[in-house]
Amino acid sequence: MGPLLEPFLANEFMLRALLAGALVSIACAIVGTFVVLRGLAFIGDALAHGVLPGIAGALLVGLPGMVGAAIGAVAMIAGVNLITRRSRLSSDTAIGLLFVAMLALGVVIVSRSSSFAGDLVGILFGQILGTSLEDLAMQAVATAVVFVVALVCARPFLLLSFDPEQADVAGFPSRRYHLVMLILVALTVIVSFQTVGTLLVFGMLLAPAGAGALLAHRIEAMMAWGAAIGIIATYVGLLVSYHFDVAAGATIVLVAAGIFFAVLAGTNVRDHLTAARRGPDAPATGPA
Amino acid sequence: MSAAVGPTPGAATSPATAPLVIEASGLAVGYGGVALVPGVDVTVAPRSSLALVGTNGSGKSTLLRTIVGLLPAVRGTLEVLGTRPGGAPGRLAYVGQVHAAGFVLPLRAVDVVRMGRYPDLGLFGRMRSEDHDLVAAAMASMGVAGLARAPLRSLSGGQQQRIYLAQALARRADLIVLDEPTSGLDAGGRELYLQAFAAEMARGAAIVTATHDISEAVEYDQVMLLARRVVALGPGAEVLTADRLLDTFGILLRDPHAEHAQRFVVAEVAHGAPQVIDVGPEAAP
Amino acid sequence: MRLRIGAGLLGLAVVALLAAGCSGDGAPSGGGAAQAPGAPSVVVTYPVLGAVVADLVGDRATVTVLMPNGVDPHDWSPSAKDIERVEKADLVVANGLGLESGLDKALAEAEKRGVAVFRATDHVTLRQPSPGEAPGEAAADPHFWVDPLAMRDVVLALAPALAAVGVDVADRAPALATRLTELDAATRATLSVVPEARRLLVTGHESMGYFADRYGFRLVGTVVPGLTSQGEVAAGQLADLRAAIEAAGVKVIFTEIGTPSSVVEAIGKETGAAVVQLPSHTLPADGTYASFIGQIATAIATALR
Repeated sequence: MGPLLEPFLANEFMLRALLAGALVSIACAIVGTFVVLRGLAFIGDALAHGVLPGIAGALLVGLPGMVGAAIGAVAMIAGVNLITRRSRLSSDTAIGLLFVAMLALGVVIVSRSSSFAGDLVGILFGQILGTSLEDLAMQAVATAVVFVVALVCARPFLLLSFDPEQADVAGFPSRRYHLVMLILVALTVIVSFQTVGTLLVFGMLLAPAGAGALLAHRIEAMMAWGAAIGIIATYVGLLVSYHFDVAAGATIVLVAAGIFFAVLAGTNVRDHLTAARRGPDAPATGPA
Repeated sequence: MSAAVGPTPGAATSPATAPLVIEASGLAVGYGGVALVPGVDVTVAPRSSLALVGTNGSGKSTLLRTIVGLLPAVRGTLEVLGTRPGGAPGRLAYVGQVHAAGFVLPLRAVDVVRMGRYPDLGLFGRMRSEDHDLVAAAMASMGVAGLARAPLRSLSGGQQQRIYLAQALARRADLIVLDEPTSGLDAGGRELYLQAFAAEMARGAAIVTATHDISEAVEYDQVMLLARRVVALGPGAEVLTADRLLDTFGILLRDPHAEHAQRFVVAEVAHGAPQVIDVGPEAAP
Repeated sequence: MRLRIGAGLLGLAVVALLAAGCSGDGAPSGGGAAQAPGAPSVVVTYPVLGAVVADLVGDRATVTVLMPNGVDPHDWSPSAKDIERVEKADLVVANGLGLESGLDKALAEAEKRGVAVFRATDHVTLRQPSPGEAPGEAAADPHFWVDPLAMRDVVLALAPALAAVGVDVADRAPALATRLTELDAATRATLSVVPEARRLLVTGHESMGYFADRYGFRLVGTVVPGLTSQGEVAAGQLADLRAAIEAAGVKVIFTEIGTPSSVVEAIGKETGAAVVQLPSHTLPADGTYASFIGQIATAIATALR
């Protein structure tokens, strides 16, 4: 038990990092569930990278990175909305282009400031090991907000994921709740980039919820699985970073992705076995 | 079924004096300001039924979507449930044609049917025992009570369609709008559907359906024949004659062995002389 | 849908793997002569500075270096073990000016909790980067370690900082300072074979500024703009570099850690300049600062004579 608990018990920074990762995991599981279910993967990714120019610009002029991230996210959401409504391009194409443009813009801004480029590593990969108490407070507030909003909007979100037209007809305007969902994604990304970085927020949004989608039959269960997997990935990632002397943020996401692929493989095997056991001619259950 | 649940709105007054569920005058429907079907005039009273019959592209779905408020009307007036389309969401149930989400979503059948209660419950209302009863009854009437806990994605297309219909039943709506409700249903499912929605009408609801199924439509109070215009509007038996159908659609598949004397399936041919084709085991292909 | 998620995650996993590898390669962090147990612990962020600090303290403290030798400091992220070392150190000796940006936040947290941190660049006469940088550029050049006399200033400032945490090097510091002065003289001598007209440096990124100022070289330009290896190569700036190389008659391009080799080779072919490796951020095999400076001086002298 020693090597599994020791690093955390002996080092406060490890506990802070673990707590930060856990809070990020919970927010990302809730939000990531809808990102995965509604195929918002591209939007989530776009947001994660769209904030980059915002952060870069803000830091250049001496503002806190989070302010810039918020501005960048708003710009991304507005841009995405504009494009999907006005153009004949498919959502995915347009959003993909927007995200590439924003990422490139971020790199351009950063490259204009040479000595600042070193911080790019920190922005992309985060500094979870440098989590302060202020960071924790901010992350806790953000996670709480995400939790509460998702709880309040649980029904419209479910309807939206099931069928946006049904949401409209039922009196829960799909556009409004879609916007709320995007804002929650943006909020999660903006706050989480401090800990795991913008590049890796995407992974924390997708991998745990993706694994949850394979394992769960209900949305609440999917979120619970997602949160659990994210927390486990944080714990294992930090442990590996400690014992094997490797970077923390990247390792955490690696573990989360690894868990997703393990679950994917496992469920595929399980499905094959069940089908084989049932036999090729077995009738499906229930009336057609 | 209706007695246990208390009074339903719209059924308190007799049909003759009750406010109209749908009132359309000079209504043109279409997309982007361009009319697909010009000039629809129709009224639908509570406890009555209207069937829209036509092929794909005839404007059936467009008209339905305009009625439920998903599409703005291009011209004319349309009042639904006493207000603008989409203005009374709690009193409307809609089952559309395309259901894309069933496949990735971790959702059980009962969760889908429960969604039918959401407009009444709003954001915060808890499901009471009456709501649970409604859900159970809706699922039972569509013969899917046993599938309640099954993940939606593991069900067949026909089973899923029954679930979507059960969701509409659970709504206890005053107006039920269905787009091709029997698609994917087997004979048993179709029977249950007909019984369940007849019961809805008896409870006081109005039903508007878009369908290819002539033998169902022929029983309706009103049938509207659509071919990008209103070809005819009237009681089912009057409107759905072989000649009328032939005139409108150009081709008719007639099955002499069908139960019903006139069982037709409607097909459309862009040009060419009207023709009647006999189908069935003895017919030439 | 699953396929898209899977593909995306696979790509992400590859990126993460590379990033994780960038920080420690699994091996416990570098040098530092392990000295007497119970001795005060001094943690140094990168190997070149670590060599000097180890030389200064001898066996009076345990010196641990966080970055393995050969890692690009501009690109490095600490592991959890590294942070533990920092938190438990009696004194942390860092470069400052954003060299170890991956450590910034954690270092600030450690300082808040009372860990003593010494930043070498606080004690050096700073040089600003070459003109032509983005306006509003505030940060100075962190690469002081290529100038033995700047290193001497750091050593003299470090001695009291060490004393404050119970490491007495009052007798050793002057000797080391003298050796650094001699190193400077030796370097000057090595470089004397390079005539004035050929004292032109084109490097991977702007790392040799202090060296150039000290020994009378001119920085003609860099492949990667700016003070870090992580900058993006800009087309216009690259064109300017090429023109400058040809105008000044530069015959050698010095490539460094993190310099994109394809770009360097391309410029080399176009201008006819030779490409020579310059180990400006990495300790040589014997792990001493003297050899580090010596290697750099020899490489430059041989290439430009």
